[in-house]
Amino acid sequence: MAYRPSKRLSRSLGEVHPNITPMMNLMVVLIPLLLTSAEFVRLGVIEINLPPAAMGPEGEMLEDLPLEESLKLDLSVTITDRGFFISSSMAVLSGDIEGEPSIPLVNGAYDFQALSMKLYDVKKKAENRFTDADRIILMAEPSVDYQTVISTMDAARTARINGRREILFPEVSLAAGVF
Amino acid sequence: MAYIPSHKKRHRRVPREARLQLTSMMDMFTILLVFLLKTYSTHGQLINPSQDLTLPVSRVQQPPELGLDVTVSSDWILVNGKPIEQTPEVARMEGFIIPRLQDELIKYALEAEKMEELYGAKFSGKVTIQGDRRLSYRLLIKVMATCGQSDFPNMRLVVYKQEE
Repeated sequence: MAYRPSKRLSRSLGEVHPNITPMMNLMVVLIPLLLTSAEFVRLGVIEINLPPAAMGPEGEMLEDLPLEESLKLDLSVTITDRGFFISSSMAVLSGDIEGEPSIPLVNGAYDFQALSMKLYDVKKKAENRFTDADRIILMAEPSVDYQTVISTMDAARTARINGRREILFPEVSLAAGVF
Repeated sequence: MAYIPSHKKRHRRVPREARLQLTSMMDMFTILLVFLLKTYSTHGQLINPSQDLTLPVSRVQQPPELGLDVTVSSDWILVNGKPIEQTPEVARMEGFIIPRLQDELIKYALEAEKMEELYGAKFSGKVTIQGDRRLSYRLLIKVMATCGQSDFPNMRLVVYKQEE
């Protein structure tokens, strides 16, 4: 009697299910864990550097410096309703027209990019020549809003030039000015 | 009539084990997991942004730190969530110091100094200022001057981080 062809050859295995239950358990634990520690609103802080004179006893140290070493730039930016005035201890950087702001408003809005570029020029010239070449003082008119102040700080701190981030004046101080 | 057990029912096949289709759920969870891992932060939320104020936006990269929380919204000035003074009132005031805010801050400073003596918890004078983006510079300076005069010289301004 001839053999019948084996049945095993044509038997299909049927659907194979991987056991994903432990994986599911893992997910159920991991997701709530990560959800609680997720940071949806990304907050940051800006550290305010008090000018050295306001720091009390530590301010005395500066007076001990030899005179030739304490060549100060005293760079400051003043925000007015007409634009930014950039000034140092020596001079006020004038705009294109005498008496106009260094960086005037463009279409009624502050030109932060131009401010960054201008400060970058100043930084290149001031580096290694002044002891306070990374400090800038910010002043504003009383009615200037908070967002403008913060954006000016950003513009003074770093600049994006040709796709590179340049550090300008990271130590920003606020000054009250005369109200 | 006597009961005749049904032959058919007796030999009916028991239904096989029901299987849940979990594959699509797994896909969903995997995507969620990747997203959450990306937004994961090791220190959680140290600062809870207040409801009625919009913080300004900045490109700064510094992460927030713990400190006494001073909130300046358009209606109220709050210290650690407790209303201290009405903001329009402060705007009308003369001078740089806000008396009620100063009293409150000094109270906190004294408490912190006592803690330092008793338990050695260092008092750093850190204060985080949350201000509304429409706040005027005059008001900001007043709040900061008051903090500076009330043993809290380390000021930090809270902002929303803007991705570059």
